Amino acid sequence: MKRLEKPLVNIAQLLRIIGLLMIFEGMFLIVPTLTCVYYGESDWLQFAATAVLTAGLGSILMTRIHPRTGYMGKRDGFLLTALVWVIFSLFGMIPFLTCSSPMILSDAFFEAMSGFTTTGASVFTSGAAMSHGVLIWRALMQWIGGMGIILFTLAVVPMLNHSGGMQMFNAEVTGITHDKIRPRISQTAKSLWMIYIALTLILVFLLWLGPMDVFDSVCHAFGAVSTGGFTNDTFDAVCYHSVYVKVILTVFMFLGGVNFGLIFKGFSGNFTAVKRNDVFRTYVLAIIAFYALFVISAIVRGDFHSWRDITVDPIFQVVSTITSTGYSPGNSHMWGSFVMALMLMMMFSGACAGSTSGGAKIDRMLFLFKNCRNEIYRTIHPNAIMSVRINGRVVSPDLVGKVIAFLCIYMLLVAAGGTILSALGVPVADAFFSAFSCMSNTGFGAEITGYGATYELLPDAAKWLLSLLMLIGRLEIFTVLVLFAPAFWRK
Amino acid sequence: MKIVIAGAGEVGSHLAKLLSNENQDIILIDENAERLSTLDSNYNIMTLVGCPTTFSSLREARVASADLFIAVTPYETDNVVACSMAKSLGASTTMARIASYDYMDPDNNDLVRNMGVDRLIYPEYLAALEIITALEHSWVRHWFELHEGQIILVGVRVPGSAQIAGMYLKDFAHTNHHFHVSAIKRHHETIIPRGDDIIKDGDIIYITTTRDHVHDLLDLTGKVSHRIRRVLIMGGSKIAVRLANMAGDNFRFRIIDSDLKRCHELPGKCPDCEIIHGDARDPELLADVGLDETDAFIALTDSSETNILACLTAKEHGVKKTIAEVENIQFISQAEGLNIGTIINKKLLASSSIFQMLLDSDSSTSKCLALTDAEVAELEARPGSKITHGAVKDLRLSRDMTLAGLIRNGQGMLITGNTVIEPGDHVLVFCLSGAIHKVERLFN
Repeated sequence: MKRLEKPLVNIAQLLRIIGLLMIFEGMFLIVPTLTCVYYGESDWLQFAATAVLTAGLGSILMTRIHPRTGYMGKRDGFLLTALVWVIFSLFGMIPFLTCSSPMILSDAFFEAMSGFTTTGASVFTSGAAMSHGVLIWRALMQWIGGMGIILFTLAVVPMLNHSGGMQMFNAEVTGITHDKIRPRISQTAKSLWMIYIALTLILVFLLWLGPMDVFDSVCHAFGAVSTGGFTNDTFDAVCYHSVYVKVILTVFMFLGGVNFGLIFKGFSGNFTAVKRNDVFRTYVLAIIAFYALFVISAIVRGDFHSWRDITVDPIFQVVSTITSTGYSPGNSHMWGSFVMALMLMMMFSGACAGSTSGGAKIDRMLFLFKNCRNEIYRTIHPNAIMSVRINGRVVSPDLVGKVIAFLCIYMLLVAAGGTILSALGVPVADAFFSAFSCMSNTGFGAEITGYGATYELLPDAAKWLLSLLMLIGRLEIFTVLVLFAPAFWRK
Repeated sequence: MKIVIAGAGEVGSHLAKLLSNENQDIILIDENAERLSTLDSNYNIMTLVGCPTTFSSLREARVASADLFIAVTPYETDNVVACSMAKSLGASTTMARIASYDYMDPDNNDLVRNMGVDRLIYPEYLAALEIITALEHSWVRHWFELHEGQIILVGVRVPGSAQIAGMYLKDFAHTNHHFHVSAIKRHHETIIPRGDDIIKDGDIIYITTTRDHVHDLLDLTGKVSHRIRRVLIMGGSKIAVRLANMAGDNFRFRIIDSDLKRCHELPGKCPDCEIIHGDARDPELLADVGLDETDAFIALTDSSETNILACLTAKEHGVKKTIAEVENIQFISQAEGLNIGTIINKKLLASSSIFQMLLDSDSSTSKCLALTDAEVAELEARPGSKITHGAVKDLRLSRDMTLAGLIRNGQGMLITGNTVIEPGDHVLVFCLSGAIHKVERLFN
């Protein structure tokens, strides 16, 4: 018998799973549809049409394609994960194109990708009338993307509960190594989503107590726990005036930046694991250190007018930046260039791996610093055997090498992105800042450098490029870049 | 079912992959972080770096809530200690891999149980049993019998000259009512056959039959049964010692080993055997020890390649039955294609005992046989289980399993589409890998 030639990627199976995922997206689209109906807005038709289209195409793929084998290898996992994120954005942007205040194609895709990758960079000019449906859909996109599209599927579909699902899990979940908290992948995904949903519900309730109306509470809860950071017009007003809302949001953004596996352990009463966790400790210490520097800077510059300027506002800003949420307390432009520099550092580091935050992740920073310390020590004692210890475990040199490669590629991509943006006519500072902001999924508007209030003014090509950077940043580089490697497509 | 496996060696990781495919929750503990990391990132299992004989690691693996704890580290004492600790922490059932007969001795049963070890896996013992069966039925590859032979499943390689080679299965079934072709292994694949499948030259076919008709199979498949008396063993491994001790009366064993030190130890361990020091790959030595007059040749060295080659040489010299130990699972299909008689694999034998345990956790009477990509199991139909709800042809069984035969009131019979399975029947099921949990659901 001739053995069947195994193809490079199992296309039929990929299409089938993509179909399945599209059905899910169609179901998520029901939420904005109902919202529009509730508020009596005309956009409900667009959302309903998109939902039917997405779910319809999905079910065609799902039912008409019969893969010969369900086998999925490493390649399939990477390709599927990257594709799914693009396809979700493509279908997710349709309502933006057709709604009552329509956008052009590049804007709509940018907005959708920014939502799913929890970047929160927006091309909406404030003041443009957006329907409630569009607002809730933007918030919902962040919420789905925050924990992960694939992870959601793994939690609810038993079909993927095998090694193929494993590959997709590895391709999507952030971090250097992927700790499983339960023996089977679907159980792990379920536990993570349960925590995520619980945090979101608690936040909605607390914000509603604020008081905030239910709609805004839901939008902002989605934005904060997923560390996305889309805002509504009403947000600045509410948030700026309410210390309570700021404090609550700070706490939940902070939690959104913690490894969800660790939160799970905390919930199940394993506090020693939380205490012993080096990354978590570093995360907390970093926040305290940056806060202290903020306050010193504010005092030296002499621009604090009330107690809020040195307590709630700086800490809100620090947490919002380090977790890559990108909410700002409203007066960030007044803080001066030193604070700007600090913010860049925080955008680079990001929060803990395995959380919903972006950036390069504190785990990797810790690797880098510990390794640098070892290298410096070794220049004096060349024969010393040094190891990098994280959470009480010695890390293999291979892993350290991988982390350093990650950080180098990360910086190279930011530099390349910034350079191309300047070639497209964006002022240099803005070009590099927006590339950085998108790559780290923070989504601070160009507001900070004064080029414009939102990303709206950027040329179309720049928006496509930034969308790509957001995707690369969210899937932690290798998942996307490996698709461009010749070795990926060769046997 | 939640299963904790201690030891990610060959057997441990094989079990972890296998059981994960059967939809069980697996936590694998080992001290070697590198070995675990590849398993962790490629399979649907959870891994834990830690020593299996410390309470802290066992607690971390939440052994207290485990349904099954399997200790398969290379060291017998570690396994027993780990099981004992796991049991005291609250594991429901524990299973230890052992390496000496001492623990299996019926006199020590209670003592072993008191230590917290519920079940034992002794791959060398199982291997020796398998070899003895193969020597007694020299014409088959596999011989699996239930209830003292009421139902027998044999695996035979079909030579081109056999009557049944080239026959459609439906024609075969019309003329022979006493056989059920349960599976065909062709190259790397096991097929559960249908009526329009053809039996080809070189296939290994698994046929179920009753005791009275086994001998008819000899003619059908063109085989001759030989009586085995003189056996030459290459490699004085643990399996060889076990085998010599279990069957020393029925066969005349000669053991060749190239390690002089081991040769000096062997006479003490297996008194009735003749021990020869030398390299069994050397043709002169083989001629010297009388390979030509040997009935069976068994290769049990640590190297699978050596074993396969040595068996091929023995076949050339006209030895009627050869048996090779092949530890690389990938090599097994190759070795089967090369016309080496029976193949012994410790990992598969260990998984058989685990499957048996999974299928029927409260009785130890049922038997199970693990092949490279399929399993054969004996199951008892429980009252009210799905399998008893009508004739077999109406049950809409999935295509990766087949019901071969059953034993009702101690009497073996074959299963056809019209058979209705009654509660209490012992049914012989042949299923492809990954389907055993489906089978289990049907019967419980």
